[in-house]
Amino acid sequence: MLLLQNARIASENSPVLLESDVLIVEGKIQAIGSNLAIPEGARVIDARGRILMPGMFDAHVHFRAPGFENKETITTGSEAAINGGITGVVMMPNTRPALDSATAVATVLENARDRARIPVYTSGCVTKNREGKELAEIEGMRELGVKMLTDDGDTTADPAVLLRAMQYATEFGMFFASHCEVPELAGPRALNEGVMSYRLGIKGSPACAEEIIIDRDIRLARAAGAHVHIQHVSSKLGMETIRWWKSRGDVKVTAEVAPHHLLFTDEHIGDYDTNYKMNPPLRTQADCDALLEGLKEGVLDLIATDHAPHTPFEKAQDFISAPNGITGLDTALVSLYHHFVAPGKFGWDLVVKRYSAEPRRLMGLPVAAIEVGQPADCVLFDTDAETTFTKDFMKSKSQNTPFIDQTLKGSVDLVVLGTEVLLER
Amino acid sequence: MARKDLLDIASLHREEIEFLLDQSTSFKKLFTRSVKKIPALEGKSVLMLFYEASTRTHSSFEVAAKRLSAEVTNFNVDHSSITKGESVRETIETLQAMRTDYIVVRHSHSGLPGMIARQTTASVINAGDGAHEHPTQALLDAFTIKEKFPDPRGKKVLIIGDILHSRVARSTSTLLQKLGIEVAYLGPGSLVPKYVPASIPRFTDYEAAMAWAPDVVYLLRVQLERQDVQFFPSVREYHRVYGITNTRLAEISDKGLYIMHPGPVNRGVELCDAVMDYERSLITNQVENGISVRMAVLDWLTPGGDFPKQEAYAAQPRAGSTVIMP
Ligand SMILES: [Zn+2]
Repeated sequence: MLLLQNARIASENSPVLLESDVLIVEGKIQAIGSNLAIPEGARVIDARGRILMPGMFDAHVHFRAPGFENKETITTGSEAAINGGITGVVMMPNTRPALDSATAVATVLENARDRARIPVYTSGCVTKNREGKELAEIEGMRELGVKMLTDDGDTTADPAVLLRAMQYATEFGMFFASHCEVPELAGPRALNEGVMSYRLGIKGSPACAEEIIIDRDIRLARAAGAHVHIQHVSSKLGMETIRWWKSRGDVKVTAEVAPHHLLFTDEHIGDYDTNYKMNPPLRTQADCDALLEGLKEGVLDLIATDHAPHTPFEKAQDFISAPNGITGLDTALVSLYHHFVAPGKFGWDLVVKRYSAEPRRLMGLPVAAIEVGQPADCVLFDTDAETTFTKDFMKSKSQNTPFIDQTLKGSVDLVVLGTEVLLER
Repeated sequence: MARKDLLDIASLHREEIEFLLDQSTSFKKLFTRSVKKIPALEGKSVLMLFYEASTRTHSSFEVAAKRLSAEVTNFNVDHSSITKGESVRETIETLQAMRTDYIVVRHSHSGLPGMIARQTTASVINAGDGAHEHPTQALLDAFTIKEKFPDPRGKKVLIIGDILHSRVARSTSTLLQKLGIEVAYLGPGSLVPKYVPASIPRFTDYEAAMAWAPDVVYLLRVQLERQDVQFFPSVREYHRVYGITNTRLAEISDKGLYIMHPGPVNRGVELCDAVMDYERSLITNQVENGISVRMAVLDWLTPGGDFPKQEAYAAQPRAGSTVIMP
């Protein structure tokens, strides 16, 4: 039994924070109200001034297992999630071997049950070994609960293959998540094409390389009657392309944005800082501004980090040799608070909607909420405290993040899931 | 004003540039003496780390170092294997152990000399990194121009060719602009990016570029080895549209314009054979000036000092394979 007194409750439905006591009994929210009586044996936490919200859900993480356990494991990845106030994740299938069969998926889910303290879901590949040629064993994965199909990290190059996959898998109630990029236009260096790529002398990836596939995949989904989810949108025109398709209303499209695409531009790369090397690449301030607008408007349905750990050894190479990607789970919620909620760019309701409710809806899961009768799935956030993202703070096995050693406003103080207190600071 | 490394032109101050150009003048005077060596770098070691083959720059640095009485070592780089950042880092560990004073490095990856500089106490000189910078080339270009125009402010240099892949274009244009020289680019639309700095006019038409009235025409080497991706239809077409043909040379000669080229020249592509005998061709002056400029740079840099410890660097497991992943 846990009694949180005078917490300020955030909900996706209201910008107003409701101050109240919350009583959790046997993993369920039993009562919400002012001055709740303290039941015998209950642990009481004075939550005055702190925000209580449902646990976040990240629909785009790379846990690197199997195959790259030196970067991350299901255990370290899910602990990083808890550390950041996230109580559920969807893994991407670009592991080794790739998650393209029922056998591979079963192994991951079994591991997750044993080694993660939060639910870990996984997506499955569209094609065998993510090669874009033969369809993966789609139905077998569905039987194990896979809903999202993606060759994340690579665009399914042949549109005919993707169209057939969409026609086939939609029948099973599955949907498609697209990493959007024309590789022939992009080059391998994960840098926006523009002033900065000229200055650094590295072949850039033009935004149109992304925009073309966003449009292509939505058209394919429309033709197949499928649901397509556009991953980590980074460009203004990409966002506007999605907006236009959504406004037509004749195709099911959802989309996500990563915190780093809202926060950083290619200028941050500075003197070849590999902590800013990611795919899709960081673009310009105009793109950031458009993405923020798209997020508030709902063109971008949800926030997802694209948590992509790499070892310090790999990231300490020169910009061209270093792999793409940054970690995001440990830092996501605090950075969203520091850069957006605290300066008043959006409210907690948007955070809850875009980073807790919508991703769960995407996955067809029950939406967590601080309401009587709901299972306990909540995060207590201190807006007055600060977090310094030292190496020791991070629970991810890798620390390839621009936030390393930065101090930001806000702190995830408590994470409760069911009958367990997963984190307490 | 002491610096450990010379990695780029972009971060050089005007006074530093003036100083280096003045020093180059003094070093050049040495060349006429019977004893061309001075003991400025006696007892110091200069290591040549060339991941990309380059006879010209390599030997120019070597001569410069030897004239300063330094000991020159060539680090054997296997040009046949793909030299990724990971193997470079192992090399740096070795170099640091060797306690070399100067490292002259060329690599096809932009930013790599900077990475080495951060991980060694030696002075690192960027001898060309990818399409990023080639600072000593820029200094020798500026030096060559100043020999003809002692006060070069307001003069105009037209750089023709593959701007997209050219570290020479980037470094030289940056340096010339710092000296008050105007720069414009001319080249195929596929090789002159739209997003070059606004301070550099961008031409796609030869006549329009000449109407801009340059004092110097600077031709870049066409990277024929890069033609696996087609940036223009054919070498013949390139010569006709962007090259110095016999007809164009006559016009250039009439106007008294200077011609420069970083070498090695593709004859019949960037320029016709006759340019090699053109009296206002500065191509051999550039080669000669390269030595004194590089002597000035070596003499100027100060090895040693603290460098940030790369914690990541020690005792990390080597990844089995490097896979580019999101
Ligand atoms: Zn991803």
